[in-house]
Amino acid sequence: MKGFTLWFTGMSGSGKSTLARMVEEELLNRGMKVEILDGDIVRTNLSKGLGFSKEDRDENIKRIGFVCQLLTRNGVVAIAAAISPYREIRDENRKKIGRFVEVFVKCPVEKLIERDVKGLYKKALSGEIKNFTGISDPYEEPLNPEIVVETDEETVEESFNKIITYLEDMGYIPKLEEETYSKEDEEKIKDRLESLGYL
Amino acid sequence: MKKLLIIGLDCATPQLLFKEYRDNLPNISYLMDNGIYGKMKSTIPPITVPAWTSMVTGRDPGELGFYGFRNRKSYGYEDLYFANAKYVKEKTLWNYMSLNRKRSIVIGVPQTYPPKPLNGILVSSFLTPDKNSQYTFPKNVSEKLDKVADGDYIIDVKNFRTDNKDWLLEQIYTMTERRFEVVKHFLKEEKWDFFMFVEMGIDRIHHAFWRYCDRTHRLYEEGNKYENAIFDYYRFVDKKIGEVLEILDDSTSVLVVSDHGAKGMKGGVCINDWLIEKGYLKLNRKVNGIEKLKPDMIDWENTKVWGEGGYYGRIFFNVEGREPKGVIPQDKYGDFRDKFIEELKNIKDENGNNMGTVVYKPEEVYRECKNIPPDLIVYFGNLDYRSAGTVGHDDILIFENDTGPDDANHAQEGIFIFRDCEKNYGGKDVYNSIFNITPFVIDYYNINVNRDFIGKNFLEDN
Repeated sequence: MKGFTLWFTGMSGSGKSTLARMVEEELLNRGMKVEILDGDIVRTNLSKGLGFSKEDRDENIKRIGFVCQLLTRNGVVAIAAAISPYREIRDENRKKIGRFVEVFVKCPVEKLIERDVKGLYKKALSGEIKNFTGISDPYEEPLNPEIVVETDEETVEESFNKIITYLEDMGYIPKLEEETYSKEDEEKIKDRLESLGYL
Repeated sequence: MKKLLIIGLDCATPQLLFKEYRDNLPNISYLMDNGIYGKMKSTIPPITVPAWTSMVTGRDPGELGFYGFRNRKSYGYEDLYFANAKYVKEKTLWNYMSLNRKRSIVIGVPQTYPPKPLNGILVSSFLTPDKNSQYTFPKNVSEKLDKVADGDYIIDVKNFRTDNKDWLLEQIYTMTERRFEVVKHFLKEEKWDFFMFVEMGIDRIHHAFWRYCDRTHRLYEEGNKYENAIFDYYRFVDKKIGEVLEILDDSTSVLVVSDHGAKGMKGGVCINDWLIEKGYLKLNRKVNGIEKLKPDMIDWENTKVWGEGGYYGRIFFNVEGREPKGVIPQDKYGDFRDKFIEELKNIKDENGNNMGTVVYKPEEVYRECKNIPPDLIVYFGNLDYRSAGTVGHDDILIFENDTGPDDANHAQEGIFIFRDCEKNYGGKDVYNSIFNITPFVIDYYNINVNRDFIGKNFLEDN
């Protein structure tokens, strides 16, 4: 299979990393080469030292995009899970990479405030954290993402299945075996088991 | 990085491999002398499907949800399906490898058709419709198998229940020769971390030639043409294993396993004729000679029990509110079953002695029972007799197999031999379980998983 980049974008806490990990496991199980570039982890190495100004955010996303480009052209599935709030930089990455699938992980900010798994929204609302996307910094929704998952309305399995189905249907990943087993196969196996004396 | 090669020998049996033939099997003896080996308890029942799948998942047949080649899809009388890879929902060893970025080569392991994608190569097993099917992953691997095999790659012999023994012997040898050619090719030419292949030949030769080789079998004739057929074939397999061992590097360990053992078959119990005689099963027409029992032959309103043939027996109850025309009241199910078990256990052999039938309730031997298990699992004469599903026999006991020549039955214990690449275990003899294989492999590769397997790593106490 050819490589491609699966780019998860969405606000903090929307479910990007969870879905990225699930997709990673599924693709590894299907024998694919997969690497994840998770925004939180990238900031501890590849983008260490960058802050949250627009320039730094753009630089961070460009770096992730650059690595995704290298991986993709070498036959790897690069999964990026980063807030990536600015449309222009995401689209720039799309152009550079080519085989690019954008997944918009959509969730209303009110719901994210309610969830607040990491406690970040509370801090952002109190002003303890500055430049927080969705609260004190903008998030530009993708205009034409390949996939939209609405994590406030769908179960995580539904969102996951939506992504996998799209990737299968568009030929990015191999389908599982179900569709390769026909009625004719079943008849042949029955004949075979009968000839072996098992039935 | 340590690697592991699993050599699966379907039906390889301890009494031959470890005792009778051992001195003439230099390569297997080498692995035993320097490794750890012993009998390995198979699944209940000890048959190819589900035993191999239990071995490579660490789950029992109930958890896997299939109990034989053919399984009930619903409580309808005709709604059956054949177990295949798409029903395997539990992770296999090569799934764990893929998830941990390790590359596997898997050849001929039962229950792998249709092939699922993995990190590596998979050639499916004897339950493949034919070579026109997509039986490998990646698909293009099938295109080169014949060339690599130096002839038509034979997934399995076409018919081992034949009287044409010369033809069958040639088929089995050719199949094995070509499979090992493919194995050797992939061992040498492909990158891999985990390699597993299963050779079916031993199972085929046991079933087809047991009576000619087992001096205790009632049909054995001294000095017959095939007296050494099984012995010679074991030596041939040993030689092939030797060729494989020569290829391996110092960082590869070897595990030889079988899914079950073999024993002489004394005869068969005609389970459905017995049920008719006992009044549990009623047919709606006269039987013409010996016939397969088909659902449309059964007077369901007057039938309480029916059975399936095979190396072991499967018993199904016609339960009110469960089966379409069920007659056993649900609140009487337990009592009925217990009394019925006692009757099964009282079946006599040809000499009028109790044949020692063993009966299992699925819910007592499995951690859970997915899909639809049989109501009872029966080992007639503790597997000395098979279960004959056909009807119209003159007697309850038969001494020729009703589905073609076959003189061996499956035995509960198969074999394992492990030769570690780093540690010499000095020929330690231990008793193992088929459920210990998956935990062992998981530990061998230091894979971090939720350890809810039935068994444990067999090296833990050694």
